[in-house]
Amino acid sequence: MTASVGEQVVFWLLSALTVFFAVFTVTRRNPVTAVMSLVGTFFCLAGIYATLSAHFLAILQILVYAGAIMVLFIFVVMILNREEVSPVSWRPTRILGVLGGVYLFVKFCHVADLGLPPPLATVPDSFGTVGSIGDMLFRDFVYPFEAISLLLLVAIVGGVVVSRSHQKEVDADLAAAARKEVHDRQLHDYPAQLVDEEAALPSPGGHH
Amino acid sequence: MPTNYYLVLSFILFLVGTGGVLMRRNTLIVLMGIELQLNGGNLAMLAFSRALGDEKGHVFAFLIIALAAAEAAVGLALLVGLFRGRQTVNLDEATLMKR
Repeated sequence: MTASVGEQVVFWLLSALTVFFAVFTVTRRNPVTAVMSLVGTFFCLAGIYATLSAHFLAILQILVYAGAIMVLFIFVVMILNREEVSPVSWRPTRILGVLGGVYLFVKFCHVADLGLPPPLATVPDSFGTVGSIGDMLFRDFVYPFEAISLLLLVAIVGGVVVSRSHQKEVDADLAAAARKEVHDRQLHDYPAQLVDEEAALPSPGGHH
Repeated sequence: MPTNYYLVLSFILFLVGTGGVLMRRNTLIVLMGIELQLNGGNLAMLAFSRALGDEKGHVFAFLIIALAAAEAAVGLALLVGLFRGRQTVNLDEATLMKR
């Protein structure tokens, strides 16, 4: 089955834009520009998903990726906006890795040309809609669905724990050190009076 | 369009993401490269799903999107922690575990 002209135009336009924005993302020095072009990549990819009759995934791509995840990125960029001095790292192992990737790409193009089956001429109208995917998700994939919800919970807790401020613990340690110093000075100046109290005092700064 | 066009496009996306992960020093851009890699994988998943007329690929793409959200949350939290501790987002300076 050959694709119609309109289909081809849409595919080439969207894929060219996708690759352009993706390259733009990883080459920009300014993180805000990179985030914005990543949003462009995700929008174009959503269009490509729609040409594959994956309507639900196309909407999800825009909602979750271009919406939620990118907002997270924007917030972090705003917190720590640092211009880089030398953005690209030219270590030999990294260049080797990229060259290996290019070699794999050439090989992959050879394999991909060997003729995979063309897209099915007809799929049912419900292909890729919320109803049919939800049906499959809650019948055949309940266990992975629950596992991914658990993963999201762990990610929330982990994110809070990792990014939490340690300033309070540092303050507590400093206060304990100050108390210990005062106690030592008292002991030095008035040794006789404090000899009895010393045994009763809890060990200073001791909650480690 | 034939499936192999979509597959080549997905491989290009994955390759661009890999280049970003390997070559860039800014941790934010590295995380964006990982997102690009995941999207390349998703596109291949959906292309095969369309070619075979099977919706299981869509379910997996859905799960991968949820996974990417979790990964972005934890990765960005780690990045904020790194910035708090060392005042940098440069990956080459994050060498605490090397010594």
